[in-house]
Amino acid sequence: MRLKTSLLKEPKHILHMICVGWTTADELYSCSEDHQVLRWNLLTSETSLVVKFPEDIYPVDLHWFPKAVGGKKQMQPEIFVLTSTDGKFHLVSKMGRIEKSVEAHKGAVLAGKWTYDGTALITAGEDGQIKIWSKSGMLRSTLVSQGSPVYSVAWGPNSDRILYTSGRQLIIKPLQPSAKVVQWKAHDGVVLKVDWNSVNDLILSGGEDCKYKVWDSFGRLLHSSSSHDYPVTSLSWSPDGEVFAMGSFNTLRLCDKTGWSYALEKPNTGSVFNLAWSADGTQLAGACGNGHVVFAHVVEQHWEWKNYVITLTKRRTMQVRNVMDDAVDVLEFRDRVIKASLAHGHLVVATSLQCYVYKNWNTPLIFDLKEGTVSLILQAEKHFLLVDGAGLYIFSYEGRPISSPNFPGMRADILNAQGVSLSNDTVAIRDKSDEKVILLFDALTGKVLGDGKHLTHKLDVVEIALDQSGPSADRKIALIDKNRDLYLTSVRHLGREPKICKIGSMVHSMAWNDAANVLCGIQDTQLTVWYYPSVVFTDKELLPKTLFLKDGSEFSRAPHILSYVGTKVTLRQGDGSLVYSSVLPYPALLHEYSSSARWEDALRLCRFAKDQSLWACLAGMAMASRELNTAEMAYAAIGELPRVQYINFIREQPSKESSLAHTLLFSGHIQEAEASLLQAGLVYQAIQVNIDLFNWERALELAVKHKTHVDTVLAYREKFLQRFGRKETNQRFLQYSEGVEVDWEKIQAKIEMELSKEREKAANASVRSSVASRR
Amino acid sequence: MAKDPLAEAGFFFDELNKLRVLEPEASQKTSELKEECKEFVDKIGQFQKIVGGLIELVDELAKEAETEKMKAIGARNLLKSVAKQREAQQQQLQALIAEKKMQLERYRIEYEALSKVESEQNEFIDQFILQK
Repeated sequence: MRLKTSLLKEPKHILHMICVGWTTADELYSCSEDHQVLRWNLLTSETSLVVKFPEDIYPVDLHWFPKAVGGKKQMQPEIFVLTSTDGKFHLVSKMGRIEKSVEAHKGAVLAGKWTYDGTALITAGEDGQIKIWSKSGMLRSTLVSQGSPVYSVAWGPNSDRILYTSGRQLIIKPLQPSAKVVQWKAHDGVVLKVDWNSVNDLILSGGEDCKYKVWDSFGRLLHSSSSHDYPVTSLSWSPDGEVFAMGSFNTLRLCDKTGWSYALEKPNTGSVFNLAWSADGTQLAGACGNGHVVFAHVVEQHWEWKNYVITLTKRRTMQVRNVMDDAVDVLEFRDRVIKASLAHGHLVVATSLQCYVYKNWNTPLIFDLKEGTVSLILQAEKHFLLVDGAGLYIFSYEGRPISSPNFPGMRADILNAQGVSLSNDTVAIRDKSDEKVILLFDALTGKVLGDGKHLTHKLDVVEIALDQSGPSADRKIALIDKNRDLYLTSVRHLGREPKICKIGSMVHSMAWNDAANVLCGIQDTQLTVWYYPSVVFTDKELLPKTLFLKDGSEFSRAPHILSYVGTKVTLRQGDGSLVYSSVLPYPALLHEYSSSARWEDALRLCRFAKDQSLWACLAGMAMASRELNTAEMAYAAIGELPRVQYINFIREQPSKESSLAHTLLFSGHIQEAEASLLQAGLVYQAIQVNIDLFNWERALELAVKHKTHVDTVLAYREKFLQRFGRKETNQRFLQYSEGVEVDWEKIQAKIEMELSKEREKAANASVRSSVASRR
Repeated sequence: MAKDPLAEAGFFFDELNKLRVLEPEASQKTSELKEECKEFVDKIGQFQKIVGGLIELVDELAKEAETEKMKAIGARNLLKSVAKQREAQQQQLQALIAEKKMQLERYRIEYEALSKVESEQNEFIDQFILQK
């Protein structure tokens, strides 16, 4: 990725350019110390004078009123705020008329910023004060008063906090007066510029020590650049938070959000005082010290999928290269390419007006987009998801709109790939207002899944991902929480709350395979592949055996998983280099066999591969689909003899219900097991299950409730207490033991009777040993 | 010689026998003086002209010298600034080189990772074929 810059031959402003701001994707306003405001139209490349202010207004900062978020149709902002050196700020209309001038500070007003929803304006002055104003320019409060000038200020993602500079320090101050202020020393020189992105919640700062730094919102340093030759004079996040731009003397740099630099440009501009991205994140304008406006657009982005490499060569042209035969196709678009995504055999390209879907490279499917600024494209096998400022839209690859999930309070403009996940039947969205909550929607109808209850985790969720294959009833979601623990849970459930099982810790990033339900993640420093993560629902202890660990020493610091396609995991390291890792193809094959119930083939595969982890996977899969023969063999292969024995025991159960219950017990689903037994009318068996688990209270409760086998429970309890040499202390047992006489012979006979009854009931009665005699 | 009464009265005759009130001798001297004065004025005038020309010439020379001097200073400054410009250019190029080097390093790492994947896959294929 790099920046392609363009400068006019002659500067349009005579003096220092001070500030720039975009209205639409193709229109820019600029102003400079010569009191002029110019409008630049990039489509016609015309420049016109909007207004020339009186001689006493020297502009410092310019910020357009934000576009209305949500459903409201307001295509262009109408006013902007212009701060000036005489301590005033001015609300100026699009036509250049000063609607209002407000005396705000002593000395120059150094920064003026609207909130993301436009409800408030903040100004920072040379007098060290920060003030908040209403939309119409009425003073609400003076938030900060300090001894040194505030050079730059930025709003937090939810507009509830502000970030400002104080000499060498950065300070985050919540608007609520009682909340805690975070303050830290950021640079060795005066901090000149800060920016805070609402999508990824990261902070940028640049100062006179010629460095730029990336911080998270707790003030932890994520990246510090090497020292430049000149102070960093401007910084700006792109709207989607994936990249940012840095400006310095004769320098323009495009950097990834993790801090490493994509490209460096050395245009002849003088110091770049101000940088602004257009709303679609494809173009950048910089206000230069020599009166120029430098325009730059981002080109040479790459997309890779299997044997195709796609490069955005120009603003409207893509080059598709098939690596297998070196065939090159060129795709031309009518408008500027804003976003693109290549996966599952389809290329989806969003331009400013249309969406193109390519399956082969000759005939794209084209449909119009409602709003121009697509901020995210996600693809699943059968359909894809577009996110723009107004909402989420799911389209089929035939270009047919499928659904549009919506919920109250949704802010589609701040959704990112970590917070949204799409599979063939489900869409999951992390709720921004309460980050513990994950909202689940049916992808085909756009309605909330299940009974309308959302998935709630106990901690804030950082990243979510839905698995991509298998039937929709088995859809699983993996989530990473704030503690960097990885959890797995099922999306579709009947009645009960789904169990959220922990399957890993210290997980920094993760990705599902595109074709099989194999999950890979960076755990601590090593690459971990969960061959069969759902095993945690059938046999928790098997989970560590199904892992594939790859030593992380080959990756340098902070790798991040980009994709997991086929057998190839693509990672990006902290320094920006791409690295790849291959995973054996066997687990995917095994998944295929098990989902199509080809257990013979699965066994043959495992014998062929001679891999313990594969056997463990097979054991889990077979157990999940109650394929006891295969499970027995698989467990035997990994030396889990107790489990083999238990499987044998399950097989010997007299009735189907019993064996089902014991299969459930095997996976640790005690309540379900009991419920299924009671449902089948096997009261004694249910009681016995509880006795075997030393769940005395419940056993007694069941016995009393069904008025049977109270003596059995009491007898076993007594035996248990005797063995441990303890006295009965439980009130209920004492109470019942008074009225009941314990006679082992009678009990044995009763049990025999129950079991024979069950045997009779079960049509296919077989030889068995009773539960009681086994104990 | 007897005194001329006319002379006593201060009247004289000249050669052309015209009556004069000035002694012929004095008159002659006067006219001589006049001639000489005229000559002198002429000479002075000539001298002035010559000197004027000289001054003009010198002035012109001075002017020329001045412009040359300015030119020299300009050239010297330009030379200095070229050195600086080169330095800045060098700095810029150096920065670009550093950037490219970083990119190269990234590509190198990517290449290494890919060759590793290739060898792993070859190994896998070999194993696969052997076991079949």
